[in-house]
Amino acid sequence: MQAVPTPHPAASRSVGAKKSNFWKVALRNRYLYMMSLPFVIWAFVFSYYPLWGWLIAFQKWKPGKSIWEQKWVGFDQFKALFQDDLFYQVLRNTVAMSVMGLIASFTVSITFAIMMNELRGMFFKRAVQTISYLPHFVSWAVASSIITRMLSSDNGVVNDLLMWLGLIQQPVQWMGQGHLFWGIVTVSDVWKETGWNAIIYLAAMAGIAPELYEAAKVDGASRLRQIWHITLPGIRSTIIILVILSIGNLINTGFEKQFLLGNNLVRDYSQVLDLYSLQYGIQLSRYSFGTAINIFNSVVSLVLLFTANGIFKRMTKESII
Amino acid sequence: MAKQRKWPVLLMSTALIAGLLAGCGGKNDSGASPSGSAPASGSSSASASATPEDLKPITLTYYSEDVNPNWANMQDETGKYITEKTGVTLNAEFAVGDAAQKSALIASSGKYPDIISAKGNINKFVDAGAVIDLTDLIDKYAPNIKKVYGDQMKRLRYSNEDHAIYALPTYSGVGQINFEAGGGFELQHRVVKELGYPKIRTVKDYENAIKQYLAKHPTDDKGNKNIGLTLNADDWHMYISVTNPAVQTTGGSDDGEYSVDINTQKVTYHFLRPEEKEYFRWLNHMNAEGLLDKESFVQKYDQYKAKVASGRVLGLIDAIWDYADGENALKAEGKFDQTYGHYPVTMDESTKDPSFWPTGFMAGWGVAISKTNPDPVRTIKFLDWLASDEGQVLLNWGIEGKHYTVENGKRVMIKEVNDRRINDATNFAKETGIGFYNLMSAHYGDGVKDPTGNYYTLKNPQQLVENYSDVEKEVLKNYGATIWKDLFPKEDEFKVKPWGAAWNIPIPSDNDATVLDEKLKNITWKMIPKAILAKPEEFDAVWADYIAQLEKADVHKAEQLHEQLVKDRVKLWNE
Repeated sequence: MQAVPTPHPAASRSVGAKKSNFWKVALRNRYLYMMSLPFVIWAFVFSYYPLWGWLIAFQKWKPGKSIWEQKWVGFDQFKALFQDDLFYQVLRNTVAMSVMGLIASFTVSITFAIMMNELRGMFFKRAVQTISYLPHFVSWAVASSIITRMLSSDNGVVNDLLMWLGLIQQPVQWMGQGHLFWGIVTVSDVWKETGWNAIIYLAAMAGIAPELYEAAKVDGASRLRQIWHITLPGIRSTIIILVILSIGNLINTGFEKQFLLGNNLVRDYSQVLDLYSLQYGIQLSRYSFGTAINIFNSVVSLVLLFTANGIFKRMTKESII
Repeated sequence: MAKQRKWPVLLMSTALIAGLLAGCGGKNDSGASPSGSAPASGSSSASASATPEDLKPITLTYYSEDVNPNWANMQDETGKYITEKTGVTLNAEFAVGDAAQKSALIASSGKYPDIISAKGNINKFVDAGAVIDLTDLIDKYAPNIKKVYGDQMKRLRYSNEDHAIYALPTYSGVGQINFEAGGGFELQHRVVKELGYPKIRTVKDYENAIKQYLAKHPTDDKGNKNIGLTLNADDWHMYISVTNPAVQTTGGSDDGEYSVDINTQKVTYHFLRPEEKEYFRWLNHMNAEGLLDKESFVQKYDQYKAKVASGRVLGLIDAIWDYADGENALKAEGKFDQTYGHYPVTMDESTKDPSFWPTGFMAGWGVAISKTNPDPVRTIKFLDWLASDEGQVLLNWGIEGKHYTVENGKRVMIKEVNDRRINDATNFAKETGIGFYNLMSAHYGDGVKDPTGNYYTLKNPQQLVENYSDVEKEVLKNYGATIWKDLFPKEDEFKVKPWGAAWNIPIPSDNDATVLDEKLKNITWKMIPKAILAKPEEFDAVWADYIAQLEKADVHKAEQLHEQLVKDRVKLWNE
């Protein structure tokens, strides 16, 4: 995908003039075109070619028949989706957990990266960094097991600690209360991903010219002033790009953590869109319905992405498209 | 532009040529196989005994939804013997992960394995026209299969509209008698022992036993709290440990999420039965008394097993296969008095525990032959051989002289072999292949004797007792029983259900019941824990809310749809 835009500006400029111009430019840039070709093919094969399968969202699809022999039902699958109360509940949960995750992960990992950046002891810095991103490599299956055990009311660490401190009298049933679930998911996510997410910011900070800091020091700027006026503006474009991309993925958050951490008591708060499409789509062999959810997902993601992009473009003159 | 137009033409012609080639290939194949099988079928219809032509080596592909992690490509002892006798080698493929998805994928791919064992998903293959009707094949070439099924043959038919036989039911044995009482309510042996073997018959008895023991021994020797009763509510375990027992303690037979009236075949979503509300009220009371583990609805399956393995849990309401991992850990440590016995607990003494309510022969899941099978006749003969007396004894007992001997007409497993079977199960299975092929063809169930007067299978009362620990035997003796089943009401106290079991009736994927069931399940799994954990005075309000939600989710429509399915099944199996 990276290679495509490179020749494009050249081509688009010449399109306005004459048609033969395009071929001239194309000929001149033929190596660039050839280099980009594999990526175009890759994108086509894996991202665009499968899209014809979207057709089954407008059918009552059954296995064993070709797509043209299926029964066409128009928008029935979408109607069924939008008429389902549960759909709005899972949508609420998905958006709520995504937004909470988005805010928490950005603030915490940026703060963490800044703190790491300010550290001077090389050994200590490396050690902290390694330790902090290790949880990223722990799969959710294992992580959720650790979390449920820590929060258990039967000798769980958290409850034991709080009881020892005298903050609570009885063990709290952390995992059994719906209104705590979003918070638990967000905190676990922060624990697992902060170190990993900070890497990219640290890399961006490493790219800031040291002269800027020296100049600031000469002007008598304190550490905090330096962070505010040099470090943060220095990684601004990185932050914006990541925010825009994350907003685009707001409702495609996956279902691992919710699936593994959830239980029947918190069902109203733990079901997310992907789980819903798994349960009511694939598991019931309603492939058409599942595809309809997927289309809804993609459309919402596109809208979110372009909206976020547009807003940032207007506000900060930075954007990804 | 002219230049561009050439591309589609070229593409098209390439595709056409490829198609032609493929078409020719296909023709060659299909042309070859009937000619190859024709002589074989001709000769075999003349005589049932194996002719040299019948033993010509043939490799068939086999797909099963049940994973066999020990599968040894038929290089095990049983497998080699089968190949020697039938000429057939199986090339097996198993569903890894979600079996329903894998089956759907195969059904829609058009490339079918020769033999398909797709359990409840066989309808996908039937819809796709992927499997052939076996009626004539069985009639002509499979005397043994016919003999085993006997008068159950009509249970093999697919549906009222389509009387074809697509799958040989291989997941249940004909004439099966269950000896193992693996369900009911469980209590640790130490509990009943300490209390002098009290009568455990109603939920009150059960509650009192736990209460009294817990009062005497609130903690284990390390100071950790003993747990009165814990439930296993992680995902589908909910059925086994929380919702099915509600039917059982109120005397209903297990028909899945619906209860079927034995006389009128009226179908009710079983939670709507008023008796069951009282069962959940009892669980609510157990919770209020502090006898129910607070974590019951939060813990994951592995935590549950770990808890059982710690030996701190006095009582369970679960099936043995569901908690066996935890109990095995206790056995390995020699803590036999912390393992569990099974008691026929119901709401009151007038209710009978329905664990052994007979279902009759449970047809349904089994083996099908695909339409692309190169030689259906050889295949059915192969399956027929497996269903023969010789085949069935081989699949269960192994090879005579190697795995078992016959002493005075009595078939016994060689002692060393049997010890390995129990203590080194995995390696034993890999080497011998005993147990690999049982679900591939028609077979008799446990408790059926062959013409020599020996049981076909290894599961029989005698074998069960041999596997009991001394503590278990002692407890049973004090209750005047030899096996746990002795405590339970017997099969002949119940009227046979003409529909088998409702949970075994396949629901067509386009039936509205699938979606309704999923919705009802979501409500039930959410509200039942809520009702149990509510304060006793709030129980009625929560329950009313639960019923209201069910009604809103069209529970009565679901009942009607299921009633129709049950009635269809009764008609199909019994007319």
